[in-house]
Amino acid sequence: MKEFFKSTGIKILFSVLLVVIMLSLFTNHLQNNFLSNAVNATTYGLSSVTAAATADNRSNMGYEELLSKYNELKDENTELRAKLVDYYDTKTENARLWKFYDLKKENPEYTLVPSTVLRRDANDDFYSFTIDKGTSSNVQKGDAVVTPQGIIGWIKNADVNTSKVITLLSTQTRISAINNKSSDTGIITGSAKLSEKNQTTFSKLKSDNKVEKGDIITTTGISGIYPKGLVVGEVVDVCYDTYDTSYYAVVEPYDEIKTLKEVAVITNFTGQGEILKSGEADE
Amino acid sequence: MSDTKSKVFRYLAYTIEIIIIFILNNTPDLLPMIYYAKPCLLICISLSIAVFEREIPSMVFGLLCGALIDLGFSNSIGLFTIALTILCFIIGYCSNNLLTANIITFLVCSLLVTAGLLSLNFYFSYTALGYADGAFYYKTHYISRIVQTFIFSIPFYFLNKFIYNTLSSDD
Repeated sequence: MKEFFKSTGIKILFSVLLVVIMLSLFTNHLQNNFLSNAVNATTYGLSSVTAAATADNRSNMGYEELLSKYNELKDENTELRAKLVDYYDTKTENARLWKFYDLKKENPEYTLVPSTVLRRDANDDFYSFTIDKGTSSNVQKGDAVVTPQGIIGWIKNADVNTSKVITLLSTQTRISAINNKSSDTGIITGSAKLSEKNQTTFSKLKSDNKVEKGDIITTTGISGIYPKGLVVGEVVDVCYDTYDTSYYAVVEPYDEIKTLKEVAVITNFTGQGEILKSGEADE
Repeated sequence: MSDTKSKVFRYLAYTIEIIIIFILNNTPDLLPMIYYAKPCLLICISLSIAVFEREIPSMVFGLLCGALIDLGFSNSIGLFTIALTILCFIIGYCSNNLLTANIITFLVCSLLVTAGLLSLNFYFSYTALGYADGAFYYKTHYISRIVQTFIFSIPFYFLNKFIYNTLSSDD
């Protein structure tokens, strides 16, 4: 045993561990760290290819459905074959941007960065994912991530080419929200029990709240982190938390967050950071 | 094949295997989610390499797999990097000096390491942060992840055994 602790191997192990621990401490406090950038830059190309390859995957189709899909695609393919190869790329990009056209038209002050879901890691809790846009596209930590249906999450980390998105289903999420019908305010936060049903909670409601099933919950825009009026989802139930002794509503986003393929990041909007800035000024 | 040459090819094969599996494991909708979880395949690879290789190469591949797992979901290195570096070193040392490298030894190591490591990850990323319904989340998401990772470690044992036997020097 003494020989083991005196061996070269154990010295190397401790040296490597020392370096790893130092790197760990160092990279934990960096918004844009070189290790993450290096790994993402190395794997970005391959991840893009594999993500694109599974983009139209529909895993639960039966034989008949697949056959009909096959015939449909065969006809479509014959029709499209005559067209130029470049046309496909342009068409795909246009379709992607078109999805967010209405959102942009309704909110001209938003700067939207359309992006694709690049990775869903095995250790990602609450269906968080990585997108293919980073600081090079002006994506920053805390930016709202949306679809044409409303907000679905926020940016936790951003490096040069990729960003990590935490979804509304996560317990890490804290978004100030309002029920426009009754003006009740609360906090949107995920729940372990509801996440798998694609549901989140509208918590910290007052005891005399008037939230009802079917109400639509939107962001308040307080603090200037997220834009005001982004749709979070629809109330499906109102419950009482005996542990927290407060009321909460179960909210179902309009998107199926587990299977999202394309999203957009709001990198800039009118009023962004205004209250935060004024808070800093007061201090 | 000379010893050095065979080592270079073997290590290259492991590296390519790790990168490809990292990409495929993280590709959206490629591996189905069973009971709300996917297996963490890089744990399987690092352990199956450690069973056959000596402690230093085992440690290096443990470090690589751990760093990729950490960077994949948190953008910084941490628990998996440190734990897999140490554990792969220990497994590499034990399998060369104290134990016989066979499927039974590997399965025992794999079960203990997978369950311990993923439970520790759950503790640091969930329980320690004070989120509610931890037991429910562990039961519905993490047990499935542990079981799937353990099951997937079996094919990786045979794959890496094949790589090790094929790309070892004849001496």
